[in-house]
Amino acid sequence: MTEKNLEEDSKYYNELGFKAGLEIHQQLETHKLFCKCPSLVNDPNKADIKFERRFRSVLSEKGEKDIVAEFEMQKNKVIRYEACSSSSCLVEYDEEPPHSINKYALNIALEIATLFNAEIVDEIQIMRKAVVDGSVTSGFQRTMLIAKRGYIKTSLGNVHIDTVCLEEEAAKKLSEDSNYITYRLDRLGVPLVEIATAPEIKTPEHAKECASIIGMILRSTNKVKRGIGTIRQDVNLSIRGHPRIEIKGFQELKSMPKVIENEVKRQIEDIKNKTLKAEVRKANVDFTTTFQRPMPGAARMYPETDHVPIKISEEMLENISRPELITEKTISLEKKYKISSVLAEEIIKNKINFEDYVSKLENIEPEFIARVLVEYPKQIKTKYNLEIKYDIYSILDLYNNRKISKEAVLEIMVELNATGRRLDEISKKYLSVDEEEVKKEIKKIILDLESEDKEPKMNEVMGRLMEKYRGKIDGKRAVELIKIILKS
Amino acid sequence: MDFKGLKQGYKINVKTSIEVVEGILINDKKDILVLKLNNGYNIGIEKSNIRDIRVVEKSEMVSNPNGKKIELNKNLPKILILHTGGTIASRVDYKTGAVHASFEPEQLIEMFPELHEIANIDSVFIGNIWSDDLRFKHITLIAKEIEKNISKGYKGIIISMGTDNLAVGAAALSFAIENSNIPIIFVGAQRSSDRGSSDAGVNLVCAASFVCNSNYRGVAICMHSKSSDITCDIFSATKTKKLHTSRRDAFQNINTESIAMVDYKTGKVSMKQENYSSGEMKILPEFEDKVAILKIHINMNLEQFKFYKGYKGLIIEGTGLGQIPFTKNDGVTEEHEKIRQALKEVIESGTVVVMTSNCIFGRVNMDVYKPARELQELGVIPGEDMLTETAFVKLAWLLKNHPNQVKELIGKNICGEISSRTMYQNISQFN
Repeated sequence: MTEKNLEEDSKYYNELGFKAGLEIHQQLETHKLFCKCPSLVNDPNKADIKFERRFRSVLSEKGEKDIVAEFEMQKNKVIRYEACSSSSCLVEYDEEPPHSINKYALNIALEIATLFNAEIVDEIQIMRKAVVDGSVTSGFQRTMLIAKRGYIKTSLGNVHIDTVCLEEEAAKKLSEDSNYITYRLDRLGVPLVEIATAPEIKTPEHAKECASIIGMILRSTNKVKRGIGTIRQDVNLSIRGHPRIEIKGFQELKSMPKVIENEVKRQIEDIKNKTLKAEVRKANVDFTTTFQRPMPGAARMYPETDHVPIKISEEMLENISRPELITEKTISLEKKYKISSVLAEEIIKNKINFEDYVSKLENIEPEFIARVLVEYPKQIKTKYNLEIKYDIYSILDLYNNRKISKEAVLEIMVELNATGRRLDEISKKYLSVDEEEVKKEIKKIILDLESEDKEPKMNEVMGRLMEKYRGKIDGKRAVELIKIILKS
Repeated sequence: MDFKGLKQGYKINVKTSIEVVEGILINDKKDILVLKLNNGYNIGIEKSNIRDIRVVEKSEMVSNPNGKKIELNKNLPKILILHTGGTIASRVDYKTGAVHASFEPEQLIEMFPELHEIANIDSVFIGNIWSDDLRFKHITLIAKEIEKNISKGYKGIIISMGTDNLAVGAAALSFAIENSNIPIIFVGAQRSSDRGSSDAGVNLVCAASFVCNSNYRGVAICMHSKSSDITCDIFSATKTKKLHTSRRDAFQNINTESIAMVDYKTGKVSMKQENYSSGEMKILPEFEDKVAILKIHINMNLEQFKFYKGYKGLIIEGTGLGQIPFTKNDGVTEEHEKIRQALKEVIESGTVVVMTSNCIFGRVNMDVYKPARELQELGVIPGEDMLTETAFVKLAWLLKNHPNQVKELIGKNICGEISSRTMYQNISQFN
């Protein structure tokens, strides 16, 4: 989007009274929050433990119509649980009190709070957030406010981070019918950090920008889970005259602006038709949203009495590490080596010591080194389903000394891995040939073609040449040589 | 800063060196003020960081909300619930996060509406103690309350108690109320009642179903059969042990089978034993205080035995079939010779000494090994297949109520605490 468009966009949404905030949930890469079970979000094992529970609302009914209604809906349902002993224990089955909090997870949360410039509370009070749908075996989700009032810098000014919370992930729903709801407990208790922004997001595009900045900051710690489902973005939004809508279930960040734009259009229609309802809606693949459930009331929280409050000590504050943010690192890499931002971010993500490669491989342009290190393994994985296990440096070193051609790098990578043979054995086949020999061969091909009554076109000659020397000569150089000989 | 004028429940505005926070005062601790923020979270603010406090609203903590009036259903039987602890019903006030225990029948029915379809509920609040603080005096109090109410037409009585000593409490009461003519059922909760997943409701409802749908007479325990909220077992009051610190199905039969199983959803009772008492009811609610349990372990010292001289009764929880360190075998076991002498003196001082086993399952047999035969010669009485804790309350009860027949009655069954036959039982309890 151009600058001018951005400005117009901003103006348009401002006039609509557009108000939006993000709630981002990120799983942390550590064991579960209140027990030592590994955080296997999708345990590959078969469930070996099964049990059934019924839940009751323990909340006083005063002014709590919503929870009562919610409970009424669930009350006659039996909740069935499936669990694997490899990823759960009595804590997940609500058969044992929580163990003391995962200090490493707490530390990550404090680190994240610091990266968002938020103020860490003096004493953390673990809370129980009432949940009656069975997705948490205890009937409540443990959650705690770690820090408040932070901010991120965006292209449209600072956006405040209202709260940074640490909480436990709920169980995954497998099925539901009129009698039973079934959950699987692998995911239950995995530590999550929840980042909530103030409703200061100005445009749909801005929402995506904020989400990607927040995601980048979280990934900068290198202590968060990666992959599908490990981060979830919810958007709260409304325009003037419409109650708040929460959108959940964005498949990818890219779709966020389009979904928000459509939701704004829908809200405009709602206002026209006077069908105003606060509700939770689900983002669809076609960028529309559909009703999921009514908006729950204010969070129903009470203190967790099974765990003492956690006083934040000087020592804990001193031990918070402050990693360099991914953007800072990528920008410096991009500029220094003139490589694309995508390659730069991948190099940082994969913790590749790029400077070391570049300094040792002085006859190869950094962009090619980056592609070999980042893209080739991915290509090989997609095309041949092979994991790269060997030392890429040795192959690049052959090319650095021009013992092999540029093209041979990829082919050797594939062959090495597919055959498991030694590099010196395989590379023999690819060793560059003498240019004089190539020239002779080109001349021979031209004569051959002429004797077959064919016109010696570039493509024909190149095809036959590469049949013989594939991987042993540089393609570009071969073209040049053919051109020279054809002209002469 | 002065924190004196502040009360729990006040909405206050706190200014610290870096920010202003508004919320409801939840707790005024030594160094920390705990505030509930608008978003529901509690946070602690260090008092030394506070510069100013302004009271925004002087609202008090919400008191216990009262339940609606319940109409009697004349077709249903009456049940009396005695609260002694181990709160079976709680309500959470989400505004402050405060937990209110519920003891009134109206509140119980509001929490557990199923109860209203099973019986009309009366309740008496005896106390709300940690079951770890249980003393014989409490059992006496409960027995007297039962004596007061037992002829008032109740189909049964349900007693709520903390689970840690629920089994021994039930055992003690079954001696105090011999041959009860109605069911007296103990219930507890392994998961506190302030959580949606509490087992309290299922235990209570199953106990009520059992009272109404069976002809059982006597004291028993109603707790979860398994981890699932599907059925409860009715356990013998004298042969049950809490075998797990936290699981819902912690209570397990020892050397016997369950009395019955109750289906939570249907209220259906499946009886497994029919041999409960039918004699004349007798209430003898007092216990002898000077009784103790000595647990046997390796490397014991003389003093550990000497200590009990002058006690009226002593249960020794021995090893295996009923052994203690009693023999000088080599150069380092001289202490055991002295233990033999000390125990002799304890018995000669008038202490009744009874042997049980640390094996939990099975029966003591003090005829098999020589040291145990010698223990019998000293006057130690085998406790048959009694649980240590049951033997303990039985001994205290006998010493108080049948002082001249203690040695004769301790090894005889009174209320299901001793079985004459040792039956085959699956002892791998948890699955």
